[in-house]
This record gives sequence, structure tokens and C-alpha cells, in this order.
Amino acid sequence: MERFLGDLKTGEWARVERIDGGGALRRRMMDMGIVPGVELEVVRQAPFGGPLQVRLKGYYLAMRRAECAKIVVSKKDPKCYDPLLASR
Amino acid sequence: MKIALIGNPNVGKSTVFNALTGSNQQVGNWAGKTVERKSGVVKRASQEIELIDLPGTYSLTAYSQEEIITREYIIREKPDVVMAMVDASNIERNLYLVLQILELVPRVVIGLNMLDLAQSAGITIESSNLALALNVPVVEIVAAKGKGIEEFLTEAIRVGKLENDPLPNEVSYPKVLEQKILAMEALLVDTLWVTRYPLRWLAIKRLERDPEIGQTWKINSGKLPIGKSRDACCDLGEAVNYELQESTPLPGESLLQDYEREGWTKDHFEMAIADAKYQYISAILPQFRKHENPAKPTFTDRLDRWILSPFWGYPIMLVVLTVVFWMSFIASAPIGGAVSLGMAWVAEVMVGWLQWVQAPEFMQSLVRDGIFAGVGAVLAFVPQIAIFFALFSFMQDSGYLARAAFLGDRFMQLMGLHGKSFFSLISSFGCNVPGIMATRTLEDPKDRLITILINPLIPCVPRLGVMSAVVAAFFPGSRGALIMISLLLISMLLVMFSALFLRRVVKHTERSAFVMELPLYHIPTVRNILVPTWQKTYSFLKRAWTFILVASIVVWILSSYPQGVPMSETWAGIMGGWLAFIGQPLGFDWRIMVAIVFGFTAKETTLSTLGILYGVAADASQSIAQAMTGAMTPLGAYTFLVVYMLYIPCLASVVTTYKESRNLGWTSFGVAYSLILSFVMGWIVFHGGQALGFR
Repeated sequence: MERFLGDLKTGEWARVERIDGGGALRRRMMDMGIVPGVELEVVRQAPFGGPLQVRLKGYYLAMRRAECAKIVVSKKDPKCYDPLLASR
Repeated sequence: MKIALIGNPNVGKSTVFNALTGSNQQVGNWAGKTVERKSGVVKRASQEIELIDLPGTYSLTAYSQEEIITREYIIREKPDVVMAMVDASNIERNLYLVLQILELVPRVVIGLNMLDLAQSAGITIESSNLALALNVPVVEIVAAKGKGIEEFLTEAIRVGKLENDPLPNEVSYPKVLEQKILAMEALLVDTLWVTRYPLRWLAIKRLERDPEIGQTWKINSGKLPIGKSRDACCDLGEAVNYELQESTPLPGESLLQDYEREGWTKDHFEMAIADAKYQYISAILPQFRKHENPAKPTFTDRLDRWILSPFWGYPIMLVVLTVVFWMSFIASAPIGGAVSLGMAWVAEVMVGWLQWVQAPEFMQSLVRDGIFAGVGAVLAFVPQIAIFFALFSFMQDSGYLARAAFLGDRFMQLMGLHGKSFFSLISSFGCNVPGIMATRTLEDPKDRLITILINPLIPCVPRLGVMSAVVAAFFPGSRGALIMISLLLISMLLVMFSALFLRRVVKHTERSAFVMELPLYHIPTVRNILVPTWQKTYSFLKRAWTFILVASIVVWILSSYPQGVPMSETWAGIMGGWLAFIGQPLGFDWRIMVAIVFGFTAKETTLSTLGILYGVAADASQSIAQAMTGAMTPLGAYTFLVVYMLYIPCLASVVTTYKESRNLGWTSFGVAYSLILSFVMGWIVFHGGQALGFR
């Protein structure tokens, strides 16, 4: 089921399917490790509608909600989460 | 031999660089950029090595200044060896950069840092297996403790001296992509470029339609001699300039068009290649990395539960900011005071000596009231800047600054700014100079420029001091508190308005991307705090002292000549008379205009200038303010305060703006903008107030 990263709640895991849009933003995300196939976890959301903090490959990224609205993900069940696989 | 240090931000490059070069560093600027260029000379066994600390970057694409600089350096200046620093706790993303480098430069040594941090998160890296997997030498280092740094350099020198280029393992691309790369390689194999750059890299870049390939550059190095004397440190050497000599189109255009028709556009290639590299990393990862207990919360996790909690996060930030402020601007006051006293004492000694050699009276006055008064006023707040900068470096290196940006981003978004501007703007309340310097963390140059330009609109402690004295005199009691709040609100609103307005002027149409890493917390080394603090304080002083000296002398001349006439007839007074017509619509007389002009050098002196002009022989700001009540209406005072709060930033901050923006045009624009804004607001306040029936 495809959703946007911004729709996920705290603690949910997801797999990136694709990044909509292009240009500098997409390039930046790719450089930071957000590529199709990577699994990430929503750690928290800043109050007042601020940025989202996600964990992927063992580090943390913060992104604005507007940017998260461009990342298409498919939700993953945390129980299916294989620790070794999650590093990708 | 030329060796470049590369790595992600926060990976410890500066620690290694500082450890190896010590005081033999030169800090300059990359041509046309606002990023620092740090280079140094290291001598090992009579081998002289030029070591260059490239800015932290995540990739070798061309979107941020740091990336562009790193790319350009490697492609145009061709270092002999690259020392790639890798963060063991974050190895996948770090290897992404390393793989890109390996495709371009075969002589690479990997420095595996932060193994201790990785350990605490349950991650172990088998460095010999990593070396095997990539076929690149790996040296383990704990940069913070100084371990392994020397071995890292030794290994780099060894690789630099190898006769033939080493052959690191290549990234295995998926078949479809591999075919296309080989096809392009075949077209490029006969060109001249193959002698200069690896064929594979050329092919990949050509598929991505990279504009950099096919260009020949000349390096104009206007550097000062890299000396061993202490002065070579922190010397703002001339920027190294690149000059485009020729640009030849590479073959392969028709192939590229064929691919485009199949759907393989430039964007698609970029995406596919980036993805392939990450896939490759995932595939080889198990060979050298073990991750135990990945679900166990790390120290960073536990700390972030407090620092980023919606309930506690903001109060904690408030406390942190208060501590930083208190230490920088209040606790340092005695030191500033001591500097002032010291300067005054030196002035007296100089005057005494001048008297002894029977120098003319005007010289003595020049020295005491002109030079030492002016320069001393500015030197007195150097301790503030130094302490603030040390604390700021600590915030940044420890990882807290990213958290502050995370919490403050929502508010910055309202103004069209980046979360990292938050700390800079808040710091400006203490003093504009460190506030402007704090914009260095902003990666987007336009974000940075806008933040630099609006910084001076925030009233700093010296201004607030003068303002509160005047407010207390004219609006006693609780009315005074309301007035102060109203003034602060005005400045806040203008900061927001200016930020949004300047986005049009600076032509910043593309909203800055907020994709920021929240690094793991760690305690920075003392050296990593002290070295940059010293460098920045020193370079600020070097730049500022000439301007301030000249300005102080000019002020002194204007107010002392012609001699023996009442204040209104000195050159300063006459100038005030000319300017009075500007002040007229705001109800300002010539004295206030003069005080405003002179306040440019240092705003704290405005009150004492006014005192002199009104003929009040007083040394306390309160009594001067009291004396002013006789000469101005409350509305007049309020208007004055609005203008005073907003008009041209003090000389020190103008100098800093120039230093940080490296652009005279924008610096002048900033000055003009605040000047015009302040007077327009003053006019609005004065006439609006009158219309509303205030006096």
C-alpha cells in the first residue's frame, strides 16, 4: 500500500518506493541515503508541525513535512523487520 | 606531495587536520565561495606535504557549495592521495562518498574513525575485511584521542609514493547499467581525457551529462608563502583562483540521445548510479560489519528523548541559550571592563609620554580621546565574541546545534528561513557579531546571505542597555516595561518582514531544502574548540582594527575642529546642521543627528555623545537620559529609540558582514537597507503617534 512518508506516525517503519519531483531536493535526499528500497523508521515529529526525524541505516535525518510529502513509501510491519536487512 | 582530507561533515576531519598541521595552517577562502579553505604544510622525513582540509560533504555532486568545492578541487587540482575519513558508526553512508572518490582517484587511504562510538551502539567493523572488500588500505583511528593519526598519514604517504596506481575494487553495476557504461567507455577510450582521468569515471560522468568533464583549468594560486611563523596562521591568504582554459565537448552525444529515447535520461542515470552504489554497499556490508542489538536505544536516543521531547525540548533550549548568553555577555563583562581599563591605562601612559616630549595638545587629545577611546570600545567586547564562539563551537561539534535547528525550524519556516538560522538570530540578541558569524552552519549561500542581512535588525545587548536607560527616564514605572516590549515587537516584526522581503531581492525562489543530519552526540575535543575560536577572533580583529581606528580618528577630528568653538560650530556640528533636514520629519534636531552618525562606530557611545552635545557633564547613562527629558518629548524619545534600535549596525558588525559575505555590494545594501528602514519606521512612528494624539 503506497503512502507518503509524511503520513506515517511515530514508530512506524516503511520502505521507500520512490521520490517524486526532481532537482536539488531529490539529489540531496539521494546523497543522504534516501533511495528506493531503503527502510526507515519515523522516530518523532517536531511540535507545531515542524520537521520529521527518521532513522535509516543507523543514523538520523530531519526533514520538513513538505519534503516528506514527496517521498512515496510502503508501510512495513515492524515484526517483519529483519535487523540485518534494515541496514539497507 | 598534495594530500586532501575528505569526509562527511562531523566525521572528525578537522581533528585530524589540526593534529597534523598544528599552527602551520592557513585559513583562506575558496574563490567566489563563502566556505573556508584550510591548508597546511606537514613535514615527514624531509618530505614536504601540502595537506588540504576539504569541507565536509556527503557526495561529489554539484548542489551545495561544499560539494562543488570538493569536486572542483579533486578534478582541477588533482591531489596525489586522498585521505578519506569514515565514521564507523555510520559506515554505509560514508562509504557512498568513498566509492565516488575511488572512481575518480585510485590513491585513497581510508581512516576509520569513531570506532568507540560505534562500539557503544553495538557496531563492530572488521577493518582488515573492509580493506579486502574495497582493496583500499584502512587505518583505524580514534581522532579525539589522537590515536592512529600518524599511521594514517604514513600510510597515505606510502600510497602516494607507489609507482603504479593501485587498483581498488570496482562497484559492480547491474547488467543493464553496466552495458551502457561499457558502451560509453568504448566511445571515450581514444580521447585525450583518458590520460588524465579514469575511463570508467569519465564514462559515468558523460552518461550523467556532467558539465565538468571536458574542461581544462588553470590554477592561479595567489597564496602567501606558507610560512612557519605564527603569523601564517589565520592569515587570510588570497583565494586560489581557477581559470577556464578550454572546454571541449566529449563524444557520445548520439549515444546519449539514443538512451534518452529509451527512457534513460540524465536524471535516470543519476538515480540508477546512486542506487547501484548503495546496493553494492549493502551487498558487501556483512563482510566487515556486525550490528548487535540494533533495537537497543543508544546514548543519543536516550538524550534525545529529553532534548527533542515536545514538552521538555523548548525549556531545555531556553536554559542552554540562557547559559550561553550569560557566559558570553554577562559573565564576560568583568573581562571586558578590564580590557577597557587596560586600554585607558595605556592611553594615560602614552599621553604622559607625549607630555614629556612636549608634543602638542592636539596630539595628546587625538591619542586619548580619538584613538584609544574608539579602539578600546571595540576591543572591550572581544572577550564576549571569543567566549561566545567557543560555546558555539561546542554546541556545533557536540551535535546539539542540529537539535536546536530541528526545534526552531517551524518558526524559521514562517520567515522563509532554514532551521539553522535560528541559533544565529537568537545569538544576535547578545551581540550581532557572533550572530553573523554563526551563519556559517548554513549550507545554502542564499539562506546564509539573507540571515546575515537581517541579523543587525535584532537589538543587541549594548543597544538594549542604552534603550532601557532612555526608556526608564522617559517612561517611568510599568509603562517603561510596556514600551520596551513594544520596541522588541517592532524589531521582531521587521526581522520577519525583512526575511520575506529579502527572499525576493536575493532571488531566492527555490525554497531551501531542509534535509539535515542529526549526528550522534559526542564530546568535542578541547583543541577542536580552541583552534577555530582563536582563528576567528584573530581574523576578526585583524580586519576590524583598521576600520575602527580610522573611524575613531575621523570622529575625533570632526568633533574637535575647529578648536575653541561651541559644539554646534565644530565640523561635527555643522554636519549635524546639514543632516538636520533629514531628521526634521522625525522631530530630530542636529544633536541627535550627530549622535546617530557617531553611534555608527559603537552604539554604546551614543549616550555619552548625546551627553556632550547637550552639554551635560555626566558619566552615568541614567543622568544623561534624565537630562534629555528636558530636551525631548516622550514621543520624540520613542521615535529616537525606534531609529536607534534599527539603523546601521555598528561598525564591527558591518566589518563582520563583509567578512562573512565576501561581497561589498551586499554589505552596502545591508547598511543602506537598515538605514532607510529605520528612518521610514521612525517617520511612521512619529507622525502616526502625533495623529493618534500622543506627545
